[in-house]
Amino acid sequence: MNKLLVNVKKFFLIVFSIIYLIPLYAAIVNSVKKYEDIIKSPLALPENFTLENFKLAYIRANIGSLYFNSFIITSISLLLIVFLASMLAYPIARNKNNVKYKILYIFILCGMMVPPQVVLIPSIKTLKFLNLLNTFPGIIFFYAGTYLSIGMFLYTAFIKTIPTSIEESGIIDGANKYTIFYKLIFPLLKPCTATVVIFLGMWIWNDFLPPMYILGSHKGRTITTGIYSAIGTFTTQWNIVFACVILASLPIIILYLFMQKQFQSGLTAGAIKG
Amino acid sequence: MKKKLELENLTFIMPGFLIYLVFMFVPIALCLFYSLTNWDGISSSYKIIGLRNFSRIFSDVSFLESVKVTIIVTLTTSIIYNTLGIATAALLNYAGRAYNFCKSAVFLPAILSPVVVSFIWAYMTQTDGGIINHIITAVGMGPIDFFASKDAIAFTVSGVIAWAAFGFFTTVYIAALKTIPNELYESAKIDGAGIFKQFRNVTLPLLTPGITVNTILSVTWGLKQYDFIKVMAPNTVQTVTVNAIERAFDYNMMGYSSSIVLVLFVSIVVISLIQIFIMKKFEVEY
Repeated sequence: MNKLLVNVKKFFLIVFSIIYLIPLYAAIVNSVKKYEDIIKSPLALPENFTLENFKLAYIRANIGSLYFNSFIITSISLLLIVFLASMLAYPIARNKNNVKYKILYIFILCGMMVPPQVVLIPSIKTLKFLNLLNTFPGIIFFYAGTYLSIGMFLYTAFIKTIPTSIEESGIIDGANKYTIFYKLIFPLLKPCTATVVIFLGMWIWNDFLPPMYILGSHKGRTITTGIYSAIGTFTTQWNIVFACVILASLPIIILYLFMQKQFQSGLTAGAIKG
Repeated sequence: MKKKLELENLTFIMPGFLIYLVFMFVPIALCLFYSLTNWDGISSSYKIIGLRNFSRIFSDVSFLESVKVTIIVTLTTSIIYNTLGIATAALLNYAGRAYNFCKSAVFLPAILSPVVVSFIWAYMTQTDGGIINHIITAVGMGPIDFFASKDAIAFTVSGVIAWAAFGFFTTVYIAALKTIPNELYESAKIDGAGIFKQFRNVTLPLLTPGITVNTILSVTWGLKQYDFIKVMAPNTVQTVTVNAIERAFDYNMMGYSSSIVLVLFVSIVVISLIQIFIMKKFEVEY
């Protein structure tokens, strides 16, 4: 009896999960249908399967170059954040009783409370002053500045859990501080780096408002701002809209399917601590 | 020796510190300064007008309307995450293939871009030809116009935001539930507590740290909401951030919009502190 009850519960949970994902199902099946078929039977499986929508979307929204732009922006921003934040966190974590480092820590931590919009509005002016507006370095530095606080916070907490005896063995061997950090400490930070990369990588890839204003409307759009403006020109052609939507999400969904556990723990850990 | 150590530390700190200073600290300082001026963001001259921007905000109809929308969005989404989210987490907090499938399914929308989710739901909620109305008319009821009024739009978009982020908050709750030791349930059972009593007296009090995190996150996210409203309801309904960004870049009111985002920032900090203060009272030791 009890076993039956559990199975009934499981059955209902699975049914609810499937209902929960109907919007995604609709986006997927309708991206391979002709426009007339979407209007006629939006929830049915495709009668006349076609990849024409993807071809049209790929060409008209210039998806290839959007992928390239987003990939470059996301990966270089992440490299910069991982590099700067881990180095910054190291002396802070190792001098936790020193007042100077404590002040530095709190000063940088304050950045975590500031909404990106507060930074974005004046950033347009500072980036223009530095001749970085409408450039990739401009948005990359914007992300580095905005997300450095979270990165430093996560790394500092993590480095504190690593025993100092590891460095002491390096000091005896006569290695300098840089070698100790990159050869001994940095490899141990892998779990933390994974959190930072998944958490911030997803944010940067999916980000909408900053690239819209920092990169401007001419060229160098990211995948999100690119499909946003492309869809604006064919709003009601849902077959093409869905093809755009699927193309924009595909890289992240593929990564998610391969690393579900890391995504779930990385995203929640990043947000809770951050 | 100590000097050399300090110098080495400085080389670790400086690169990050400089980036933070130039791309974070300077913009914030500028934002503070702009908020005291009547600068339009373009011309080379401007006047320092003190706090006049801030006093203007509170009689500005379009700003106050955006505050109302932001409050609707924040409250609706926060209530959904922190009631249904806890219930769902409690239902899914078991091992097994079926449960893992459900956990992954619920989490999936959280990895999608808000822009993507907004377009999908713009289609779902269409009055003519949208999936929801397709189903509603199929069971014999009249179609619903999800965009009938400004309030309706605010609630519709709140529902969409909740759908997208629900899995995230639920996953946090599942992680929090895992920290509650099983023995506590065992001894509650021995004391004769039923499922609801166990939930009320064991789960809820021990879940408080998770609730603190989630309520603060959900309120801060709600107050900062931009993307969903911007894509789903362009030019009809504004949140505070949409209002501020539009003022800054479309109406060239740099000074005024700087004061709007500062008011938002201070509200977020104050509300979070109040939440921490309240939740501290509920936390228990075991």
